Amino acid sequence: MRRLSVLLTILALVVASLASTGISYSQDKPFEGVSINLLTFTGPQIAEPLQRHAPEFKELTGAEVNVITVPFADLYQTILTDQATGTNSYDAFVFAPQWMVDLVNYLEDLTPYVENDPAIQWDDIAPFFRNFSAMYQGRIYLIPLDGDFHMVYYRTDVLEEAGLQPPRTWDEYLEVAAAVHGKDMNGDGEGDYGSCISKARSAQAYWWITSIAGPYIQSLGTAQGVWFDTETMKPLIDNEGFIRALEIYKETSKYGPPDEATLDVGDTRSLFVGGRCALSLDWGDIGTLAIDPTISVVQDKVGAVITPGATEVVDRATGKLVPCDETSCPYAVDGVNYAPFASYGGWSGGVSAGIAQEKKDAAYAYFSYVAQPAQANIDVTIGKTGFNPYRVSQFENLEPWLQAGMSEQAARNYLGAIQDSLNSPNMILDLRIPQNQRYQQVVLDTVLSQFLAGEYTAEEAAKEISDQWEEITDELGREAQREAYLGTLGIQK
Amino acid sequence: MEERPSLSNEPARYVLLLPAVLVVMFLSIFPLLLSIFTSLSNIKFVKGGFEVNYVGLRNYEKLLQGSQQRRFLGRFDDPGTFGWIVLAVFAAFMAYWLFRYVTGPRRRVFGLIMRVLTVIISGGLLWLLVRTSSGRGLPGTLVVTLIFVFSGVAAQYALGLLLALLVTQDLPGKRFFRVVFLLPMMLTPVGIGFLFRMLSDTLIGPIAPVWKAVGLYNFSWVNNPATARLAIVIGDTWQWTPFVFIILLAALEGLPTETVEAALVDGANRWQMFRYIILPQIIPVSTTVILVRMIEAFKIIDMPQAMTRGGPGTATESVTLHAYNLWRALDLGTSSALAYCLLFVVTFVALVFVNFIRQRLLEMI
Amino acid sequence: MAALRKFFQSSSPLKPSPAAMTISYVLLGLWTFFVLFPIYWLFVTAFKLPVDVNTGPKYLMYVDFQPSTHAWRELLVESGNLVTRPYRNTVIVGLSSAVLALTLGAMASYALSRFSYRPKPGLIATFILCVVLAIVAINVEVPWQLAVAAALSTFLLIALTIGRRFKGTMSNDDIAFWLISQRMLPPVAVIVPIYILFQQFGLLNTYYALIITYTAVNLPLAIWFMRDYFKSIPIELEESAFIDGASRYQVLYKVVLPLSAPGLVATFLIVLIFAWNEYTLGLFLSGADTQTLPVLVVAQNATRGPQWWNISVLVLLMIAPVFLLAIVLERYIARGILIGAVKG
Repeated sequence: MRRLSVLLTILALVVASLASTGISYSQDKPFEGVSINLLTFTGPQIAEPLQRHAPEFKELTGAEVNVITVPFADLYQTILTDQATGTNSYDAFVFAPQWMVDLVNYLEDLTPYVENDPAIQWDDIAPFFRNFSAMYQGRIYLIPLDGDFHMVYYRTDVLEEAGLQPPRTWDEYLEVAAAVHGKDMNGDGEGDYGSCISKARSAQAYWWITSIAGPYIQSLGTAQGVWFDTETMKPLIDNEGFIRALEIYKETSKYGPPDEATLDVGDTRSLFVGGRCALSLDWGDIGTLAIDPTISVVQDKVGAVITPGATEVVDRATGKLVPCDETSCPYAVDGVNYAPFASYGGWSGGVSAGIAQEKKDAAYAYFSYVAQPAQANIDVTIGKTGFNPYRVSQFENLEPWLQAGMSEQAARNYLGAIQDSLNSPNMILDLRIPQNQRYQQVVLDTVLSQFLAGEYTAEEAAKEISDQWEEITDELGREAQREAYLGTLGIQK
Repeated sequence: MEERPSLSNEPARYVLLLPAVLVVMFLSIFPLLLSIFTSLSNIKFVKGGFEVNYVGLRNYEKLLQGSQQRRFLGRFDDPGTFGWIVLAVFAAFMAYWLFRYVTGPRRRVFGLIMRVLTVIISGGLLWLLVRTSSGRGLPGTLVVTLIFVFSGVAAQYALGLLLALLVTQDLPGKRFFRVVFLLPMMLTPVGIGFLFRMLSDTLIGPIAPVWKAVGLYNFSWVNNPATARLAIVIGDTWQWTPFVFIILLAALEGLPTETVEAALVDGANRWQMFRYIILPQIIPVSTTVILVRMIEAFKIIDMPQAMTRGGPGTATESVTLHAYNLWRALDLGTSSALAYCLLFVVTFVALVFVNFIRQRLLEMI
Repeated sequence: MAALRKFFQSSSPLKPSPAAMTISYVLLGLWTFFVLFPIYWLFVTAFKLPVDVNTGPKYLMYVDFQPSTHAWRELLVESGNLVTRPYRNTVIVGLSSAVLALTLGAMASYALSRFSYRPKPGLIATFILCVVLAIVAINVEVPWQLAVAAALSTFLLIALTIGRRFKGTMSNDDIAFWLISQRMLPPVAVIVPIYILFQQFGLLNTYYALIITYTAVNLPLAIWFMRDYFKSIPIELEESAFIDGASRYQVLYKVVLPLSAPGLVATFLIVLIFAWNEYTLGLFLSGADTQTLPVLVVAQNATRGPQWWNISVLVLLMIAPVFLLAIVLERYIARGILIGAVKG
């Protein structure tokens, strides 16, 4: 019996390696007749390039790629129910790497595929995405298609007119927002807003608070972690730093649109490129959207910087804020401790482990095709794709950006802000422990919106989040969660 | 028309009923039992299926006393003077009602137990309502759902009846109205949620100029719990009035003429005609449509989800939305427990409605 | 009221007084505006460019903004079968389940309004017990065919032997209440069980899963509405048909159903609309090949914010056929067939 299975494994490996060599497209349409169902959320972003490249890919390889989309908010459960129950009606997925810890059991180990595929130019992918987003416990499970970082965008013209510099700390962010709030920024004679941050519930709003709280909590480098105490697994929430962040978060609403509490990140992007905001917190998207003339009135008036930092940091023993010095903030720049948040880690493609080998090959080949520089380096310059830069060549080669309509200065500024974040030794990593959705989407998101609505004070909110996180940790097993947490921090970028 | 149910043994009585019962059973018993079990466990998705840990009533405890209490039931405060008055009036009324029953001619032990239970549960709901709406209290998802259900269904029935009466008159062009009034019901609920979010946007929605003109430039309805709830009830009413309308319309169209003729011969006026001739005839259908609407309204989710996401804070979060949010994060156990708490409340309200209110109304005819 | 007006017309030339008519028209006009404005807004939004939506309210085509068909092109032309496939699925699922729900519902509600049933709670409890045992047995790895057969035969055995001893009965109203109570549990609580159920039968990603579910979910509604209509049909008509030698089925088919046409049509429209527009169950029971339209609508609210123009186009596309159907069927609701029949 055992011999048989060994034999079968060897056979499978042989078949796999034979098939993998076919990915160089030297063969004439190696996947003729193969059809794969690829699941992602409805675009246009992310889904658009996947749909657009499908016919080209069929032309090249003969494989038929059906892109099936479900609402963004339901993508996670759809994948999980489909795979956990063994239904396997989907062959490949494009999702956020943060979910990998819950999904990795159902994913094909793509390490051998990548090793046999020079065309993907794996080493060109920035180390963070290659080593952290794509990998789990040393094996590659996902192919990065997108890069994600929080950044602060500002209106160069508005700040210049007011004689202000882009904010370096969150306090400065509030000062800038207050100073320009109410000015007319798009020439329609009406007052516009100092700061637009999407704060809608059940959307992506709960990410921002980590970008604000990060520099107050994490200062000793990426491995220090921003979510939990590495010894006791107690949440790093109920402390002065997080409470300060909550207060800042709430104060930005003063300089925002009146219905900021229902604005989605899409809405704030629209407002920003519509010329109605001086500052905004966003992923890489505003940069490319701002150059699209069909939606933007602020071409070449947009600057981007690394998310602001702090000059104080929490002493983890006491939970009190202490001023930054050389021991407490070794990575500080001019006394400011930055902690850019690599939230989401970029949309990435994974292949189901429960399908036929030829389908796996075709699915991998498709992801490889989309990720290859020839396709990807153009896609990241198009706002509609939702793909943000993640390859070294995308940062170094300005040509595609200029062709897409960015000025050289804007391109350098935009890419520079991303690179500053990428190169930061104090970068914040996503929470990637089991059931992270419950910690963030349920508890953090709900309590934050209750706090914004005035149902809690900042202290009460911090305590509430902390207590509910503890409850989940206890329910899932403290030691197991701690190990998972340490595991995600231990992987060095 | 007196119905005459027969006890005859012809096969038709099974042939006609059983298919429907079997289809409903197929999709009810197993899911019902399994979800009871789910509500008593913690469930994890693992490779090849689920890992189920039985935890007893802990999920319910979490909702009623633990970390989800604030969200589900609300934050309590002492009922103020007004609150005490409301509770006292309710208690007096209930005592009178029970007293009447006990001294009345049709008393039975079972009936008494049911009535005492009714008093206790409805008293509990009122207690919750009073304590979460006074002082620093905040209503939880259960109270919010009750607000949606009762204000929404009342508005829909009143408007639906009025409109149905209006278009059964002999008006030129009434067919136009009939078809147009049905339109909202045909839109997919999720689409209506988005539509009303678009309409109620005070920056780029159609009411923005009006908003600005009356000086509300910096006020957004979504930031105030009361206005946010009102907006959702308006959307819900827009969507579901047609449902009441079409059912009542069909009922009104089906009224037999003889009684109406007789009343006219007796010289009845409009109001008398409505009160004594039309209303009694449409009461059975009315109670049905109210019951169905109530049951559906308790499950309200699309409108708050798309319009406010349950915000500001949790001011417009319904129980179903709460359960859905938990579900989305794969807390299946608590989510099912929440659904069962809702089921309990809905069953209670529906039973009270069917046994006491509907029965009473039918007897009044 | 219709009857009343009919009477007015036939015996005297009286119409609603001008004052009453004016008030009626004002009220109806107000409601019409309230109903139509949101739909008008959908219509104009469907032709707006994103920049027109985002820079404040624009009301009139060609006046405020230049209409663009970009959203229509994107959905119908550029993305291949993105819309047509779900559209076909929705039509198939919606129509089949509505017809099934109406047929089964009419039969059942007729039975409930004409026969008297006396189900015994004891028997029902026994049945549920047998089901529980079967589920437990399957969980301890007894083959499911065997478990089901064993449970069924146990139940039959008990029912046929000691079943008669069970005291206490329930009435038609209890059956009806049980049926409607099936709608009380929010779908989110039963998604996973139903999902597993259909997975066991291998029906996921097929039309059957959706059709069966929607039929079962809408049956209670159909039964409740039609029960009221059937009750209001004079039983004398049926009795005279029986005297003429008609069977029960003939009476139902030839006498009762035609008489209750307005109710049937109204009920059909409602169950069709419910199935047509359902989202939560549709999302999980549909797979790659059977995705329905509401899922596509919700999906337009993505990480880049709601694509208002796409949502508008999709909602308009969804409402069109149902609306046309409503126009066609409206005559039947309006005609008041019942009245004529009773008189004739």
